[in-house]
Amino acid sequence: MIRVLNTILAVACAVALIGVYGLKFQSEGVAGRKIELGQTIIDQQNQLSLLRADWAYVNQPSYIEPIIDRHAETLDLAIIGAKQFKSLDELPMRPAQLDPDALTVLLNSLETGVDPIAALIEAN
Amino acid sequence: MAIAETSALDPIALDGARKARGTLTRTRIRVLMAFLVLAFALIVGKLVTLGGTDTDAEIEGRAMDEITATRPPILDRNGIEMAVDIRVPSLYAEPNRMIDKEGAIRDLMSVLPDLNESMLRNRLNRDKGFVWIKRELTPAQKEAILKLGIPGLDFLTESERFYPGGAEASHIMGMTNIDNKGIAGIEKELDTDNVALLQDLGFARDRNLAPVSLSIDMRVQHAMREQLLDALSRYQAVAAAGVMLNVHTGEVVAMVSLPDYDPNTPASYSDLWMDKKNQRFNRITFGRYELGSTFKTVTIAGALDAGAIKLTDSFDARFGIRFGRFVIDDFHGKHRVLSVPEIYKYSSNIGAIRIMQAMGKDNYRDFLTRAGFDAPLQIELPETETSEIPKEFSEVGAATASYGHGLSVTPLHLAQAYAAFVNGGILLPATLYPRSQQQADAIGKRVISPETSEEMRYLMRLNALEGSGTHANKLADGYRIGGKTGTAEKVINGKYSSNRNLNVFASAFPVDKPQYAMVILVDEPKPEDEHSGETAGWNAGEVTGRLAARVAPLLGITPDFSEAIDQDLVPKQLHMID
Repeated sequence: MIRVLNTILAVACAVALIGVYGLKFQSEGVAGRKIELGQTIIDQQNQLSLLRADWAYVNQPSYIEPIIDRHAETLDLAIIGAKQFKSLDELPMRPAQLDPDALTVLLNSLETGVDPIAALIEAN
Repeated sequence: MAIAETSALDPIALDGARKARGTLTRTRIRVLMAFLVLAFALIVGKLVTLGGTDTDAEIEGRAMDEITATRPPILDRNGIEMAVDIRVPSLYAEPNRMIDKEGAIRDLMSVLPDLNESMLRNRLNRDKGFVWIKRELTPAQKEAILKLGIPGLDFLTESERFYPGGAEASHIMGMTNIDNKGIAGIEKELDTDNVALLQDLGFARDRNLAPVSLSIDMRVQHAMREQLLDALSRYQAVAAAGVMLNVHTGEVVAMVSLPDYDPNTPASYSDLWMDKKNQRFNRITFGRYELGSTFKTVTIAGALDAGAIKLTDSFDARFGIRFGRFVIDDFHGKHRVLSVPEIYKYSSNIGAIRIMQAMGKDNYRDFLTRAGFDAPLQIELPETETSEIPKEFSEVGAATASYGHGLSVTPLHLAQAYAAFVNGGILLPATLYPRSQQQADAIGKRVISPETSEEMRYLMRLNALEGSGTHANKLADGYRIGGKTGTAEKVINGKYSSNRNLNVFASAFPVDKPQYAMVILVDEPKPEDEHSGETAGWNAGEVTGRLAARVAPLLGITPDFSEAIDQDLVPKQLHMID
């Protein structure tokens, strides 16, 4: 009875041993991967901070203005003058549109030799 | 009997054997127990020593994570980054883990040739767990060192401050040291404010902090710096500075002082300027000047508000005023009876003295206090200077003070006062942080009445149309600028110098609905060409005009050329004279 129990215990021990070692190696692997990932994150964060700084740099007025100056001639750029600002209500009204139908009638009647405008002027 | 004897003896024998076995087992158990206790005691002991040992988290006396501490990004009012953190690798060595130190030195010198070899050898031969080799490396350098594969070397990611605008906003930003601590400007202010606390509590370590927004507009800041640089070369001035405030909230929109420095290389702060040391300070908050005739605005505002004079009054400016041995006279004087607007327009010293005398010198001194000239600046910069105004004016002291001599204040004091004169009369301490109208209303103090403020706007506009501000007005046509010039003789070796001037133009625009107040300083300007003059209107005034024309569209101010606006500014009592 005791012998059976011992055997079972011994087998259980062996299994547990293998299990624990397996777990240990696995967790070491996971820990290694974690460190690796952490390093990747740090590297990427570093790169990100550099890219952000780059973006901030090229976004500065002091960076953009020389570019504009350089291309001002080719692109015909100039600083906007005060006289170039106008408000909407200063815009003139749209001119009255021509009436195409009436025009066709007029041209047709001219072709037939009748001049309604001349008639109008003469009538006055 | 024998049976009885054996049976009597047997239990004894049996008992003895069991007892013997029992004691043996008990001893075994005790031994086992002792062994186990010992084993556990060992484990506990080891745990205690492990818990007690300080893992080497100290680097040259400072905690490891203190070095990797981050600072919040600083943004301008439109979200443009003014300061960001870059995370960079720094190289360190653990000498007690290094095998071949000489080989390591040789290899390192090949990658980092600018290292000092003897210093490196010195450091590596120290018996220490940690020594810096080089801080703030480029990614390429890190890659090359990794390729060397030297044992005992490692990298630590540090935060380094980067100012993408370079010198654009140097005096606002200040600077940080190599340990990423603020040592000047808003950076230092942030540290004393809350970042240091966060870092101490461990919140600012290695993670992103919420960005800090400032009231600065980088576009205006850039334009102002451009114009001031232009002024330095155009007028061959030794220095130039400017500040622009939002008159309704007291927010600083732009602040430039030239010569400046690049906060990315803090050492540039101590570079010589025109062979002179200590020239790169912030002239707006840390410089104290006699600001000359720009103070006539203050004098007239005080007298008008006290009811001591009216715009319709006239004063005798025919003769200079005698104080003992001194006679104070006008520069290019008209020498006739002048009305108050004429005194302002022609910048008459005599007139200013008469107005101050009408008000009374003690009332005038009180008004200076009320207009904030005595109070220390509240701006969030460690570099501030206090004013120097006599506690009590003598007769002659008050007379000179009425046209801005014998008292010195910072240009920011003047800008704050001008903002108050045009915004309806409310004095607001200038700030670098965004401030809402509500917050401003809560802290604003009344200096002059809204009616006086209207009269001051008329006077400032009048001076721009007909007086010393015409140069500024011509250049910023349509943006309704109004302002006052000041040409102050500089004090050189305790005496007023007649050929070295500090020229100032203090202004506001658009005067009909004021939004921004500006003070521009040009130090020791020379005439641009033979046709131009030396007084402030020709240099500080022109800079103001060019700058206003440049930034007004950016700030959403629509130009208006109608003369009705200027006529609306003329107060009723002056209409009645006409």
